[in-house]
Amino acid sequence: MFKIAYLGRGGQGIVFAATLTAEALYEKGYYVAQLQNYGASVRGGSVLGYVVADHEPIKNPFIEEFDIIVVLHEEGLKRWKRLVEKSKKIILDKKLVKTNIPGAIKAPLSTIAEKEGVYQALNIVAVGAVFSILDIEGIDKVIDKLLQKRKNYEVNKKAYMIGKRSFQHHNH
Amino acid sequence: MKRMFLSGNEAVAYGAIDAGCRFYAGYPITPSSEIMHMMAKLLPEAGGVFIQAEDELAAINMIIGASWAGLKSMAATSGPGFSLMQEGIGYAVMTETPLVIVDVMRAGPATGQATKAAQGDLMQTRWGRHGDQYLVVLAPESPQEAYDLIIEAFNISESLRTPVVFLMDEFIGHGREVVFRKEPGEIKLVERRRSSDHEPLFGSDDPRIPPPMPRLGEGYYVLVTGSTHNEYGYRDVHSFETHYKLVRRLKEKIWGNIDKVFKYEVIGDPGRAEKAIVCFGSTCRSAKEAVMGLDNVLLIRLITLWPLNYDLLRELLSNVRLVVVPELSLGQLIYDVQQVIDSGIKVVGVNKVGGGVPIYPSEIKKALEV
Amino acid sequence: MIKHEHLSLKYMRREVLPTAFCPGCYNGIVMNALFQAFEELGIYDLRKYVFVSGIGCSSWIPSPYIKADSLHTLHGRAIPVATGVKLANPELEVIVIGGDGDLASIGGNHLLHAARRNMDLVVIMINNLVYGMTRGQAAPTTPKGMVTPTTPYGNPEEPMDVARLIANTNANYVARWCVSQYLFLKNSFKKVLGEIKRGFRFIEVYAPCTTFVIRRENKTPGQKLKELMNTCIGYEKWEKLPAEERTKHIPTGVFREEDKPGFLDNYKQLIARLKR
Repeated sequence: MFKIAYLGRGGQGIVFAATLTAEALYEKGYYVAQLQNYGASVRGGSVLGYVVADHEPIKNPFIEEFDIIVVLHEEGLKRWKRLVEKSKKIILDKKLVKTNIPGAIKAPLSTIAEKEGVYQALNIVAVGAVFSILDIEGIDKVIDKLLQKRKNYEVNKKAYMIGKRSFQHHNH
Repeated sequence: MKRMFLSGNEAVAYGAIDAGCRFYAGYPITPSSEIMHMMAKLLPEAGGVFIQAEDELAAINMIIGASWAGLKSMAATSGPGFSLMQEGIGYAVMTETPLVIVDVMRAGPATGQATKAAQGDLMQTRWGRHGDQYLVVLAPESPQEAYDLIIEAFNISESLRTPVVFLMDEFIGHGREVVFRKEPGEIKLVERRRSSDHEPLFGSDDPRIPPPMPRLGEGYYVLVTGSTHNEYGYRDVHSFETHYKLVRRLKEKIWGNIDKVFKYEVIGDPGRAEKAIVCFGSTCRSAKEAVMGLDNVLLIRLITLWPLNYDLLRELLSNVRLVVVPELSLGQLIYDVQQVIDSGIKVVGVNKVGGGVPIYPSEIKKALEV
Repeated sequence: MIKHEHLSLKYMRREVLPTAFCPGCYNGIVMNALFQAFEELGIYDLRKYVFVSGIGCSSWIPSPYIKADSLHTLHGRAIPVATGVKLANPELEVIVIGGDGDLASIGGNHLLHAARRNMDLVVIMINNLVYGMTRGQAAPTTPKGMVTPTTPYGNPEEPMDVARLIANTNANYVARWCVSQYLFLKNSFKKVLGEIKRGFRFIEVYAPCTTFVIRRENKTPGQKLKELMNTCIGYEKWEKLPAEERTKHIPTGVFREEDKPGFLDNYKQLIARLKR
């Protein structure tokens, strides 16, 4: 069972990161549940998007402890700090998250994204980072297929690959 | 069976289409709008009619008209819109108009928190209208069940000639999960009984059997009125007998069919359990995780919230010493539990509402430790 | 001896006669005009007509008196119910009959939006100037200064000119006639039932309440009818009157007349586009 969460701020595409993750796992044949918690459909405010995937039907989608949580903004942390702290693997964006959480990995996702010119697709960089940890066979192909169906394919594809590489690099 | 990845709202729309719903009227409101979006897309393709109403008052009354013209009809809304629909729902009860009304609950009262899940409309689904009125309320726990149960909602509304309220919450409405959509041949559909000559359209000897319902335009010269009426539809706004007979029959039509409409799920052994959880809707998902590995806890999930089989609930809870009732409200279902248990038994509510935060399994577990 | 029957009887449910309307009520004139229109159009059976009404005296015309399918709905909600009926079965001709309070006050929003959509309905609004069924309280159409139970010191509000309001929407047909203008009224009914058979068709009938308007003026319905013959004038003539004269007269006539596609035609086009 995978329990993956993305946390950030309205406008960062957190829900889409969860959607892409969920749809990719769905395409790989998993039972998947995807939920989100966000403010009104305007920018700002915290956004939490998460995915549970399993080979069995999902009994309970209300998750208290995530396997992986990627935090892309301080704003999200303010509200969901306790939930973040309970997670097994915590990835904090080095630049956008100031708070330190013991045991968390500080990853320069936004810095690299900016340098590579895909800052607007930071959410997809985060998805790449998650799948570099999960390492599911053939997932890149599925992600590629899903991204092709949407706008800004080139940027998104690049962002995903950056996420996959940069995080592996950081991890080692 | 077709495997899909759908939100509960989308699942409701597909289920409604598969149940034969061919008319939808609605007004945009969070968190139910996706049902409307989907119906706007699916209905014209299915040969049905979609209309965006000017408000919820119009929406509920449009589906009443469409139902009398012969189409299975639905409207979906959320708290504030559901409040506006109450008068129309009462009219549908009085005129025995089959309808399905979906309420995707958000935190209230008033505008409250539009994007945040809640379960505080429970009592309103039962008692939101004035006067003596009864209908059926169903509540799924997941997108898959939303799909399957909305078909059942249409079947019940057709077979009992009654509005059915379909009660969801934002977690189910917006949460996406794998849903298996049935093929047409796999679905059992119930249609309202059409008229035969001389049979009254608003009365029956056995109150449990609803009278037949013709389509408008078939030459029955149908008289439909929200005023008190006799079995032929003629208004009688003075006599005690006519009114009493009518409301008694309408009540008995729902409560007399409780065996057909009351659905529930039990996990655990009522004979051995010392503690119990009573829940409905998405909250039961956490409850199910909470009882895993606990063989002294009974879980009762109510799928039908109205009419409620109090006798059965009393029987199931007769041996326990503690009942936990988790709700995304300050507590409404808890009154049903308190009604059926002895005064010595402890009833504990796990109440959480607002902010879009679910009740977690650990919180239910903790309440069970009392 | 040949017994001649009133032409209206064949359109009515005889078993519920006499009607519950007050003696002299102008509802009878409206009913006769409508039934005569049907007869002159050669329509003798109303089984493909559905009448929808709300709450109020005029809402009782179809329920129970007209021998056709009828839905007597909630206060103000006749138009949405009628919309549902029409869209679910376009073969049916759907006619709404209601009062000014029902259609223009509590149901005012539905009236505006049905007109905006050019919804395929005939709406007959009998404007009796008050809430007649509940003892003559002020309505949105009550003239300024009129004394009613809710305006004991005289109505401080300006009335609404419903027909001219709807004439500024997308409706296909808008007319207003006084009950004293029987032939015009009947011909308008014939027009919307026999000629312009689509879109939103709105006919206001100016028919002051016999009990709570006319009797309060110490007049009989007959006297008032004679008076209305002078009060109600063509709107072209009315527009030329000086301002102080205008308030004493009711402008009548056909304010709008078109035969453009209604909601249903547009919806059918959408479906056809989908199938292509």
